[in-house]
Amino acid sequence: MKCKITILCLVIFLGTFLQQALAQNLSVTGSVKNKGTGESLAGATILVEGSATSTLTDANGRFAISAAKGSVLVISYTGMTTLRYTVTGSTTGEIQLEESATTNLGEVIVVGYGVQRVTKVSGAISTIRAADIDKLKPVRTEEILQGRASGVNVIQSGSPGSKPTVLIRGIPSFSGTDPVVIIDGVPQTLTDFNSINPIDIESISVLKDAATTAIYGVKGGNGVIVVTTKSGRKNQKAEITVSSNYGVQQVMNTIGVLNATEYAAMINEGSVTAGGNIIFPNLSTVGVGTNWQNEVFKNATFQTHTISARGGSDKMSYFLSAGYLNQGGIVGGNDKSRFNRGNFTANLSFNLTSKLTFIVNTTGVLLDSKGVQENSFNSVLGSALNFDPTVSVLNTVPNTVGKYGFSNLLLSEIFNPLTKLENTYNKNIGNKLYGKFELQYEVIKNLTLTSRFGYTKYDGNAKGFTPLVFYGPLNVENSMNADGSQVAGRFNTVSHEKTSNFNYTWETFGNYNFTVANDHNFETVLGVSVAKTSGNAAGASRQDVPFNSWEFADFTAATGNNTATNSNAVAGYYYQYFRRNLSYFTRVNYDYQSKYLASFTARRDGSYAFGSDNKFANFLSGSLGWVASSEDFFKSDFIDYLKIRGSYGSIGNENVSPQFVGIVTGGPSYGPTANSNGYTFGDVFYPGSTVGSAANNALRWEKQLQMNVGFDITFYKNKFSLSADYFEKKVDGLLFTPSASLYLGTVPIPTANIGSTSSKGMDVTLSYNETIGKSFRLNTSLTFTTSENLVTATNSDGTAKILGGGYFNGQSQTVTVFEKGFTPGYFYGYRTNGLFQTFDEITKAPTQAGAQPGDIRFMDMNNDGAITAADQTKIGDPFPDFTLGWNVGLEYKNFDFSVFTYASVGNDVYRAYERNANYSNKSRDVLGRWTGPGTTNDVRTPRYSFTDANSNIRVSERYVEDGSFVKIKNLQLGYTFPERMTKNVFSRLRIYAQVRNAFTFTKYTGFDPEISGGILDTGVDRGAYPQARTFSFGLDIKL
Amino acid sequence: MKKITIKITTLFLFTLLLGSCKKWVDYNPREDFRITELDYLQSETDYRTMAISVYTPLQWINQVVPIGDIASDNAVSGGENASDVLSLQQIDDYTHTPVNSALTEIWQSAYEGINRANYMTQYKAANVAGKAIDFAGKEALYGEVYFIRAYYYFTLVKMFGDVPLFVEKRLSLTESKSLQRTAKAEVYKQIEIDLNAAIAVLPAVQQQKGRITKYAAQALLGKVFLYQNKFDAAATVLESVITANAFTLPSNFAATFLAAGENGPESVFEIQYSNTSPYYNWPGYNRGQGNYSAQQCGIRGLNGTAAMPYAAGWSTNLPTQNLAAAYEAGDQRKAVTVLDIEAYKTANPSFNITYQVAPYKNTGLYNQKYLPRKGETSGQLELNYTNNFRIIRFAEVLLMAAEAYNRSTTPNDTKARDYLNRVRQRAFGDLLHNSSASGIALKQVIWDERRLELGMEGDRFFDLVRTGQAATKITGFVTGKHEVFPIPQLEVSISGLTQNNLY
Repeated sequence: MKCKITILCLVIFLGTFLQQALAQNLSVTGSVKNKGTGESLAGATILVEGSATSTLTDANGRFAISAAKGSVLVISYTGMTTLRYTVTGSTTGEIQLEESATTNLGEVIVVGYGVQRVTKVSGAISTIRAADIDKLKPVRTEEILQGRASGVNVIQSGSPGSKPTVLIRGIPSFSGTDPVVIIDGVPQTLTDFNSINPIDIESISVLKDAATTAIYGVKGGNGVIVVTTKSGRKNQKAEITVSSNYGVQQVMNTIGVLNATEYAAMINEGSVTAGGNIIFPNLSTVGVGTNWQNEVFKNATFQTHTISARGGSDKMSYFLSAGYLNQGGIVGGNDKSRFNRGNFTANLSFNLTSKLTFIVNTTGVLLDSKGVQENSFNSVLGSALNFDPTVSVLNTVPNTVGKYGFSNLLLSEIFNPLTKLENTYNKNIGNKLYGKFELQYEVIKNLTLTSRFGYTKYDGNAKGFTPLVFYGPLNVENSMNADGSQVAGRFNTVSHEKTSNFNYTWETFGNYNFTVANDHNFETVLGVSVAKTSGNAAGASRQDVPFNSWEFADFTAATGNNTATNSNAVAGYYYQYFRRNLSYFTRVNYDYQSKYLASFTARRDGSYAFGSDNKFANFLSGSLGWVASSEDFFKSDFIDYLKIRGSYGSIGNENVSPQFVGIVTGGPSYGPTANSNGYTFGDVFYPGSTVGSAANNALRWEKQLQMNVGFDITFYKNKFSLSADYFEKKVDGLLFTPSASLYLGTVPIPTANIGSTSSKGMDVTLSYNETIGKSFRLNTSLTFTTSENLVTATNSDGTAKILGGGYFNGQSQTVTVFEKGFTPGYFYGYRTNGLFQTFDEITKAPTQAGAQPGDIRFMDMNNDGAITAADQTKIGDPFPDFTLGWNVGLEYKNFDFSVFTYASVGNDVYRAYERNANYSNKSRDVLGRWTGPGTTNDVRTPRYSFTDANSNIRVSERYVEDGSFVKIKNLQLGYTFPERMTKNVFSRLRIYAQVRNAFTFTKYTGFDPEISGGILDTGVDRGAYPQARTFSFGLDIKL
Repeated sequence: MKKITIKITTLFLFTLLLGSCKKWVDYNPREDFRITELDYLQSETDYRTMAISVYTPLQWINQVVPIGDIASDNAVSGGENASDVLSLQQIDDYTHTPVNSALTEIWQSAYEGINRANYMTQYKAANVAGKAIDFAGKEALYGEVYFIRAYYYFTLVKMFGDVPLFVEKRLSLTESKSLQRTAKAEVYKQIEIDLNAAIAVLPAVQQQKGRITKYAAQALLGKVFLYQNKFDAAATVLESVITANAFTLPSNFAATFLAAGENGPESVFEIQYSNTSPYYNWPGYNRGQGNYSAQQCGIRGLNGTAAMPYAAGWSTNLPTQNLAAAYEAGDQRKAVTVLDIEAYKTANPSFNITYQVAPYKNTGLYNQKYLPRKGETSGQLELNYTNNFRIIRFAEVLLMAAEAYNRSTTPNDTKARDYLNRVRQRAFGDLLHNSSASGIALKQVIWDERRLELGMEGDRFFDLVRTGQAATKITGFVTGKHEVFPIPQLEVSISGLTQNNLY
């Protein structure tokens, strides 16, 4: 032991010799402990403030450091509150650190290719800690970011395990807006968040501005989420954690639709108004019928179990973890809709020699999921909302197959949702292996070379089965007859798909930190990165599965063979893809006495996809910071810390594919331009060949210029901290098809980088910590995120409109547009001005074909005296004006309580789940319909008729609702057993009860106003899978 | 010592990595198993396969045929209502503007064909990789390419007048917006060059039906001469087609327009359609292997027994009563050209015909020559009708020759009358209806005969313009404006081409 201390002292002495050779220092010794557990903390950092002198505690939590009397030691440890200690003598005694929930000033945060002390950061970064993640027990990591990381907008989906919309600082494009995800230094994608167990995460840094993301160059344009998983520490006693959570999920609310009698009355009215017959002559026999929503929503299980161990010896450290998660789906229950995941992680670090460290992180993941048709009028939920309520749940008609009832009115598209559910068969199995091999070599002190090989290997195996189904004797979409026989020409089909991909990144870089003339501190990094992603997929399908059953649904069992009249009996396909990148990067962080901060980053990126004229791109950024509170003249009892920051730089997005002059051979083209091939001689078709694609050698990355200014302040005895950032960014080079001369022919014009958007906004985080007395602690934090977005250019003549948000309500409609001069993905349609009450009003109004009293009065936006397609305009915006997250944590003695509230304000929802077929069920709103002059002027309730010459169902404000909401996302009450009760068995035992999605406050009339999707699908509610309310109990044990 | 070695090696490797592997980001489409132009035109097969696709856009410009009649006194646009097939409605009503989808499609498709032909001629001597690929029949193959390029330019020049002319290469994106319009006379000069080059190398007979022959090239050259009022040259070249005795006029006029009559004894040049490569692509509705215009002119809501031959369609391109009335009694061509559906229904009670009266601009008549027929389509039924367009029939060669002789510098009315009467004899099945006119009167007779013989085959409007009769025959026709169609607005706004007069 003594020897070790001697060596430590020697190292410290040598390390500081150059800089501080003449300083008269004390040798200070002491020890560091966890205040909560009393455990010695090995590997805690002790830093002499304002110098480069630092050391780590040994296995027993002891340290020795050379420091002048009166200087300040900063003692920090990941996950603990940093402590400052002023040196008064040669020993500090026992220093106790507390576990922390939020970012603290002394902590280091993980940035690209290195770590940085929070106080020295001059860019914009949001950080989340393990403590927050452990409390939420989320399925996917993004859930933690929602409302907790300012500047990040997360719109969740209810479907088990599905990927939410994640936008970091505004909407740059109509596609490709996912941020990059870096897990332990290895690039992955947002999709990969389905396979990391959030409990294994130590910290998450969200890099938001150019200063922090430019080191990722052409990948950094949408922001970067840097995830660091847990690892063991050297000489750490084994710490075993078991955490278990079991709960039940249920639907939060259902939508008011007509009961059977109301439905029958409305159908009668609709038919008679349109000049038809009474459909239900005797309403008194109809009754209340079936509420199909109650039939399809099931309570479903939710459980997570994780066991992990961390620790280390002299030469190695480890983190081992095994986890299981099961999220059943509330639509149809666990059998039909679910997400299951098993994780196995080993993060190992070995000191091969005193200077050479070898790190191996490996995670294996097993994914097993099933899904139901979602988000359309004919999905399971869409059918539940629109299906005939007069039908009984079970089929009672003699001599017909089928377990569930059928309608004789709805004869296509919308089916009994239970029949749909029963005939939904699929499974998705995935195996993923990801991790890294990393060698770190300390060439000389403070110069470390790192070579890291990171990889992700995924193999997916999916199977789907479409059985023959009988939907009712009159149904036109039957593939099975009432007697169970096959409808001629219809087949059941089993389809298989195997996907495989392998991505790797090999990075080699050097970090060198040095100090010049005591006060000028430099942290530098220089490196190179080589990356490749590749994958392939093969699929096969076959008809005629024996016994029409899932049990025999396999290619090998199916018996279909292609014939002259049926070329789809056996089918298959294969494709492959790859991408390659090469990058060089460097960064210099500089600070003078930790007071004046500067950072400069450069990255040079090459991509296989860029045109030959633009193989490489350069990305530069810089930032400056000033810690005003460190100035001598800054004397404030109120403000403890104040830093002002600013950054500017460029980053990019590589959403391009290589272009080349290709020759296509064969027959007709099914592309949008139908640049077909081949010709007929006599009656025989001969395939041909022609130039089928063109190249744009100037093709390049999408370029972003981003500016950020902000400040961090802590005040009132370090109890309050506030970080605020304002940003502006301009995205250039979005891919659009330029307008080209028609005499070039019909070869598709290659896309070019001609679109642009701009965004500006603010991210604010405010937190407050208070301890009252000995036993009451409060910590609360509030985040605020806002951005304004504008499309500033599209194609060369500015006329391009990218349409999206397609849905069907009797007509094929699109509701969202990406267009110059507007916010991205805004809702586009007719504005409304009440209902026509009389014929007189119609004659006086602008010409509106087909209008009758009781129909919607649309607005003549261009004042040409007629309602035409040209009158369509902006009628809503699916993205919020701002979002708020509010976390409150209370601790009283052994009890802890936390509430997390998330609010999204100003987001509109387009209600697109109503099919509007004559016999489809309707919203209860229809009961308040227009029935004569003066009855109502509400555009949501026009007159009701089977015929709709006015097209009241066209895309209009009728279907736009304010989707602003406040959700209590998480409520948790926990109790930690006193140490005296458990210490013989556990070092810590906590039990808790949790409610997720406890309450939603909204005016929206659908299931859930939080509707995720791409930029062009967000906020379009086609009957989206609602998020479930989950009640659960859990326990966390430390052995 | 050892440690130092490790250090130095590490540093060395590190620097080495930084400087190397730029090739990593090069890209070769072969890595994606994609054929590029560098890989192609390496063999006779490549050349022959690529020549096939030079033909392809011929099928896409099918709207030239209906427009040729709708723009004239032969037909009306029809359709479901005033806004259905708006592009054709406006042409019918003479309210057409530079924004016209049908005209834009013809323009762009014809230029795709030209670019495809140019690509072939660009790499005739050597392929993209610079290697010469020679094979037997290469010259004859290029004869087809020259003909088709001439046909595309002829279509453009007769529709739009002065048009951008380029023959050196397929244009790439960098040549966008680089061209202006070339004078009509220059374009015609190039058409003649291409056709003469084709005539020099093409065989008189092709093994595959529908491939371009020497006679097709000569007949088209004759037509091109007529359009330029070069009657002497026209007479010479057309005479050589006639004296070759390769074609005859079958006595049954109707047979020529049935599926069985395709590429028959009087067929000089037909644009081929088939249903053997079924097409489903609505966004590219007229770019498949089928004849979209057949579906267009069908009778709405038509139903009947299995024996009733016709299939339903969209009641577009309806022949006028004026055209029907132009036929003399006994002319077998009337019933073949116009179908009076009500009369047909009455005459064939066993068919149990029901149909929807054409909802807009109904004439009661339908384009019998190209009506959709049952069993002649596949895939997406609307898009795959097999009806070939009879672009140049031998009857037209005779009528063109007649006109050329009549209008030559030294007219030969005997020959002109002889050729005219061969056509009339087939029409009436006797010699009693022979014409005996001469001089200017004969010229008018020939012109009128063209309308009767070629009715609903897409020639009428262009004939009226060519012969200066358009203003007197067509309601709404403005002399000095409507001789040509407007240049598509997109091309004017994107490429900066000048617009035609008064549009």
